[in-house]
Amino acid sequence: MNLIESILARASGKRRVQPGDIVIAEVDRMIMHDLSGYMTSRVYEEKVKQPLKHPDRVVMVFDHIFSPPREREAEVLQSNREWAVRYGIRLLDCGSGNIHNAVVREGFIGPGMVVVGSDSHTPVHGALGAFAVAVGNDCHAGMVFPHSKAWFRVPATLRIELDGRLPEGSTPRDVALWLVGQIGEGGAIYKALEFAGPFVDELELFDRWLLPLITVDVGAKCGYAEPDEKVFEFARAQHAMGHWEGLDIVPPSRRRPEEVRQYDVSRLEPQIACPPTVGNVKPVTAVAGQPIQWAEIGGHGGGRIEDIRLLARVLEGKRVHPDVRLNVVPASRAAFGEALREGLVELLHEAGAMWFPPSTGSNQNVNMGAMAAGESMISTHSRNFPGRNGSAAASMYLASALTVGASALRGCITDARDVL
Amino acid sequence: MTDFQFKGRCWSVGDFVPTDQIVKSHRVFLRLDEIARYVLEDANPAFAAGVKAGDVLVAGRHFGQSSGRAIAVRALRATGISCVVAESFARTFYRNAFEVGLPILEAPGIHAATVEGDVLEVDVPGGQVKVQRTGQVLQGNRTDPFLLEMLRAGGIIAVGSRLVEGDK
Repeated sequence: MNLIESILARASGKRRVQPGDIVIAEVDRMIMHDLSGYMTSRVYEEKVKQPLKHPDRVVMVFDHIFSPPREREAEVLQSNREWAVRYGIRLLDCGSGNIHNAVVREGFIGPGMVVVGSDSHTPVHGALGAFAVAVGNDCHAGMVFPHSKAWFRVPATLRIELDGRLPEGSTPRDVALWLVGQIGEGGAIYKALEFAGPFVDELELFDRWLLPLITVDVGAKCGYAEPDEKVFEFARAQHAMGHWEGLDIVPPSRRRPEEVRQYDVSRLEPQIACPPTVGNVKPVTAVAGQPIQWAEIGGHGGGRIEDIRLLARVLEGKRVHPDVRLNVVPASRAAFGEALREGLVELLHEAGAMWFPPSTGSNQNVNMGAMAAGESMISTHSRNFPGRNGSAAASMYLASALTVGASALRGCITDARDVL
Repeated sequence: MTDFQFKGRCWSVGDFVPTDQIVKSHRVFLRLDEIARYVLEDANPAFAAGVKAGDVLVAGRHFGQSSGRAIAVRALRATGISCVVAESFARTFYRNAFEVGLPILEAPGIHAATVEGDVLEVDVPGGQVKVQRTGQVLQGNRTDPFLLEMLRAGGIIAVGSRLVEGDK
């Protein structure tokens, strides 16, 4: 069995499972944010008349709303807080960061765990070797809360092997964007994506993390890399070794044949996902020169210290273009602390950037980030569907922090290699 | 009709419609009957005002992609449609549909085989769709019996405890 099959077998009390089996598995961690938490808690209150079995396994993070813009949002947070206290679940309040970075940096995720969440980017936790899946509000309310279990169909695995060394100007996020285009939206429906190969092995944990972030975009169920010493070291330091014992993982050479795709990244140019969907991926050069009014480092996969460092690399000693507002939204309090200690807060402030509280930033413009018709933003966010950030006639482009920084500098979409 | 067999006039949307175009995020805190008035407001502006109970929604590839929120399914059900037939579904939408209790069917070829307003006969357990205008019958993908049972029960909240008990 591979990692996912081993975890599901252990969590469902079976010796073996195979793709297609439906199992009822013990859930180790359930995560939700302020919006999904509100909806899930409403469903639970209205329809489920059973106690919450393991409150200590449930974490709620306020990440879409970092400060309530209106009374309605204040009521949502108030309701969530009361609900969290009543059931004794863990709560990370406003300013903690985006849900996925916050729960990892707070030690809630570890290798071998079964992690569920209503947020569609929950599979990102496969970067730590967890089986991490997005499931809906009703499953959480009706099964995870009262029983700490969920049903799963064991997925077939698509192994994605990456080799090569990235050229200057390209980053792991460019690889992730490019892979969405290669596999296609809905190109891997219901599958588990296993990321492997020399390129993946060499990545640091929070760069590796960008790969399973694309799981939902290609339609897959979960994504993961088998944990190595880097992951174990991080997990041990967080006291989050999770549920690693007792797994029965065999190396790929001794497993039944799986679908494998191989990619070489050594000639990969900087990539950009253009409206209207995440799969509309092109080399940055194809749309260079397109004016932008907004730029942002933030989102469920952005705002890591790695992104902030890349941004600083482009903007050090320079000024953001006068036509552009550049938002910097740290992914977690830890990331902001690192930026402070490294002098990047001042450096980017001097360059004209605006700092926002750790959160999901302009994600769906719940708290910020609405655009008027005809405006464009380039960001490290994960979604670019029309109407998600204000007007349906506004445009969202998704790219690496280097490309976002270069574009903020020039006032138009810019290949970072032109300014480095 | 019995056991998830439906006959209704169809509405149509294209490929890759995300959940936040089914229900925009700033509407998720409204009451469900209010949300229903805005369903698919950008993807098919005539739908919410014109939909009648029992109509069928036809969609393209990877319908309901991106966010996994069940409100998208709940809002579609609140419009009164009987079912959704798509080329393919995003897995979170697919899962949510059975967990919330909205019949759906994956039927590759459905988009090209229909025009908006066609009357369709949909047999969810049998996995078939008949287009009345042309007489064409499409064979869709089989639905797992486990999911059909959940659908018959009315969703996961109705069967959650039974699933856990049955597993012991």
